[in-house]
Amino acid sequence: MRVVKSLYWAGLLTGAALFAQPPQAPAPAIDLSGYWTGAMHEDAMERGNGPEIADYAGFPINEAARLWGLSYNPSRVTLRHHQCDGYVMPYQVRAIGNSRSWEERDPHTQQLIAIHWWHQTFEGHRVIWMDGRPHPPAWAPHTWMGFSTGKFVGNALVVYTTHLKQGWLRRNGLPESDQATVTDFFVRHGDHITYTSVVSDPVYLAEPMVRTTDFYRQPSDPTSWLFACDDGEQILDRKPDEVPNFLFGQQPFVTEFSKRNNVPLVGALGGPHTMYPEFEAKLKGATEAEGLAETKPSAEGPAQTSRAVDPVPHDGEIHVWRLRNNVYLLLGDGANVTLQVGDEGAFVVDSGTGQLADKIIAAIKRLTDRPIQYIANTSARADHTGGNVKLRAAGLDPSVIGSFFSLQFADAGVGATIVAQQNVANRMTAAKTPSAGWPSDTFLEERRRMFHNNDNVQMFFEPNAVTDGDSIVQFQRADVIVAGDIFNTTQYPFIDVKSGGSVEGEIKALNDILNRTVYQHEGEGGTIVVPGHGYVCDEHEVVEYRDMVAIIRDRVQALIKGGATLEQVKAARVTIDYDTRYGATTGPWTTNDFVEAVYTSLKQPVKH
Amino acid sequence: MVKVAGIAVLVWVLSGHAHAQGRGGEAPATPKGGAPIDLTGYWVSLITEDWRYRMLTPPKGDYVSVPLNDAGKKAADAWDPARDKASGNQCKAYGAAGIMRLPGRLHITWQDDNTVKLETDAGTQTRIFSFTAPAGRAGDWQGVSTASWDRPRSPMGFVFGLGQHYPPVGGSLKVVTTKMKPGYLRKNGVPYSADAVLTEYFDRFDVPGGESLLVVSSELNDPTYLASPFWTSTHFKKQADAAGWNPTACAAE
Repeated sequence: MRVVKSLYWAGLLTGAALFAQPPQAPAPAIDLSGYWTGAMHEDAMERGNGPEIADYAGFPINEAARLWGLSYNPSRVTLRHHQCDGYVMPYQVRAIGNSRSWEERDPHTQQLIAIHWWHQTFEGHRVIWMDGRPHPPAWAPHTWMGFSTGKFVGNALVVYTTHLKQGWLRRNGLPESDQATVTDFFVRHGDHITYTSVVSDPVYLAEPMVRTTDFYRQPSDPTSWLFACDDGEQILDRKPDEVPNFLFGQQPFVTEFSKRNNVPLVGALGGPHTMYPEFEAKLKGATEAEGLAETKPSAEGPAQTSRAVDPVPHDGEIHVWRLRNNVYLLLGDGANVTLQVGDEGAFVVDSGTGQLADKIIAAIKRLTDRPIQYIANTSARADHTGGNVKLRAAGLDPSVIGSFFSLQFADAGVGATIVAQQNVANRMTAAKTPSAGWPSDTFLEERRRMFHNNDNVQMFFEPNAVTDGDSIVQFQRADVIVAGDIFNTTQYPFIDVKSGGSVEGEIKALNDILNRTVYQHEGEGGTIVVPGHGYVCDEHEVVEYRDMVAIIRDRVQALIKGGATLEQVKAARVTIDYDTRYGATTGPWTTNDFVEAVYTSLKQPVKH
Repeated sequence: MVKVAGIAVLVWVLSGHAHAQGRGGEAPATPKGGAPIDLTGYWVSLITEDWRYRMLTPPKGDYVSVPLNDAGKKAADAWDPARDKASGNQCKAYGAAGIMRLPGRLHITWQDDNTVKLETDAGTQTRIFSFTAPAGRAGDWQGVSTASWDRPRSPMGFVFGLGQHYPPVGGSLKVVTTKMKPGYLRKNGVPYSADAVLTEYFDRFDVPGGESLLVVSSELNDPTYLASPFWTSTHFKKQADAAGWNPTACAAE
C-alpha cells in the first residue's frame, strides 16, 4: 500500500513538473483582498469636509481648468441631474470611507480574471481586468470608474484606465475631462497599501497629476457599504434653462481661501509651476493683483482647439456596437446611425453621409434578414440624410404594400418609408437633394409614435434647436434615445441659425432629452443616449453639455446687455474653458461659428 | 520503494522549494548588486498634496490631520520659531521624519556596496541607509537608520507544480529610523519626539511612456506625541540631471 502511495505521489509530482507551463506573466506580487480604509493624514480637510472655493494649489491645471473652476457655482449640484453624480475613479479613491477588494477567478481554471475594488462613497465599484482583454473602442460608453486593465510589474499592481466620465479633479469645481486616462500603482507593505495615481488629461492638465493615497487594513468587515442617493426638487420655480454659474471675473469668493489661510492667490489658483519647489520662493513676493489676473481669460493667446480623441476611426468601415436589446449603433459614416431590428423589419435612425451606405446596408443585413422598413431622420443635415436614397432602395415597407396606399401610389411600400418632421422635407426639397431620399412620411405635431418590433418608438419634434426640423427618437423599451445633432461629443452644437436653429431652442431640446432619461446608479447608466456624433453616452454627458451651452449663453447674453458687438464677444473668449474639449479653428464648425450662432440667435430670438 | 520516494522528494524540491531560494538560486553578493530597483539619481518633489502645509509655513496650532495626542498638541501650540533659531534649532523641520515632505530635490547615490546616501537640497541634509549595520548618529536630526530590501514573499510551505511558483520580482527599499533628535513634522512646530520610530518604504514606479516616480510611504510611531501612527506618502519625479539642485540652509519658518 505504501508503495502504491509513493508511486501515486511520485507520478503526480513528476507530472506536475513535466506539464507545468512556464508563467505567462510575472507572479502576482501583491494581494489586495480584504477590507481597507483610507488614512486621512493628507489633504484631510479637502477629502473630508470638502475643499474651499478657488483652492487649486499644487494642481498642474491649465487656464481652461482654472476658469472652468472659477465659473463653477456649487449650487449647480442642486440641479436634479447632478444631485447623485458619483466621483470619477481617481478622485473617488481619495474619498472618505471604507473599501473592499476581492479577486474574481475563473471557476474552471482558477486563473485571475479581475480584481474588484468597492468603495463605500458613491458605491464605486471598480473592476480591474487581469485577463489581458483589450480596452473598448473609442465609441464605447464612459463611466465613473472607467475601464481598467492591470498587470503585475515588480512588486506593484499597475493599472491603466480609460473611458472615464467627466468629473472632478477636486470637488470645488476643478474639472477632470472625459479624455483623462490614469496609470496607477498599488503596492502593499504589510497591512498598508500605497496607491499612486497618475492622471493625464489633455483637456485640463498641463502636466500629469500625481497623487498618493494610503490605506490601512481593517481586521473585519466595516459593514457599511451603501451610499443611498435619489434626486428630487431642491429649488422650486427655477427656470429649466438656469444653470448656476459665475461669469468670468465675477466669482465672489475667489480670494476667500487665499485670505483665510494666508495663501497668495497665485498659489491658490494652481498651475504646474505651483507643484515644484521653486514656487516656494515666488510666493514670498506675490501680489494679489497677479492672482486676480488669472481669474479672467488671458487677453491674448492662441485659440485652443479640441484635444479630445476622435471616437470615429475613419477607416472606411462601419463599426457595430450593440446598445441594448435589439438596438445597435452603426458608426463610421459621418453622423451616427442607430438600428433597431426585429420581426417587423429594420428601423434605422439617420443614414450617414451616404459614402459608406453600401457597407451600412451590409452591416444591417448581418444583423437581420428582414428588410429596412423605416428610416427616421433627426434633421435634414447631409451627414444624417446622405444615405437615404440607398438605404431606402435597399428596403421596403410591408405595412403599406397591399394597403389602400397601393391604390393611390404605384410605388407604395417600394423602398423603406422615410419618416421626419415636415421641415426636414422642406429643407431637403429646397436644397434640391435627390427626391428619392426625401421623407415620405412627415409629421407636424410634437410627437410621432409607433409600436415597432415590440418597442414603443417615438419621435419628438424639437423646434429651433440646431435647425427648425430636429427630432429625437426614443426606443422606450430598449431605453435608448437618439439625439441627432442636438447633442454630440465632438464639437460645440452645430446651431444653424439660417436653418432655424437657436441657442435657446438647443438648451430646451437638451432639457427635453434629460426629461426622458433615467440613470441606473449614482447618476450614470440607465437610458442610453446616442449623440449625433461621438461616443455612446448616458444622461451625464448630456447634462454637462447642456450646462456648457447654458453657461456660454449666459456669458454672451451678459455681454450683449453691456452693448458688446459680435467681434467684442468673440474677443472676450467666452468659450475658453471648453475650447480644449470642443474648440476648432478650422473645418465646417469653428468656435467662432458657434459663438456667432449664439450671439445671433440671442440678438434675433426665434418666436416659438 | 526507496527510490520512488526519493524521486518524489527530489521533484518536490525542484518544483517549489528550490524556487523559494531566489532568482538564480544564489543570493546576490551585496545589497547594491541585488537591488531590485534603481533609486539613484536626482528626484524633484511634486507638491500636490498638503500643499499649504508644505509649500508654506502654516499658522501655529494648525495641525489638522496629524493624529497628535494632548502632549503633541500642547507642544505644537508652544511653537516659537524665534526661539528655535536663537537656540540653533532651525533645522527641526529638516529631520528624518519631516524632511521628505519639504519642497526640494533629492540626490540618491550608493555610498558603497552596502550603503545608500540620500541628500536633500532643502536644509542641505544627508541621510545614510546602511544595509549592514545601523548608520548615523543618535540624537542627530537624521537619527540612526537601517536599510533592507523588502521583497514580495514567495509562497510558504508546500507548493505544487513547477513553473507556477517563480518568486515574485521587484521590491522596495525599507528604511527604519530611530534615535532622531526631536523635530517637527511640519514647519509650524508639529512635533515628533526622540522616541519616534520612522518606517519608510521607497518604491519606484515607471510610468509607461514617460516619467519615473519615487514614492516614499512612511509610518511614524511616536508614543510621546502621537495617538496613532501617522501615515503619509510622498512622491518625487525623476530628473535627468541635477537641474534645479539648490542646497539651502535650514529656515525656522
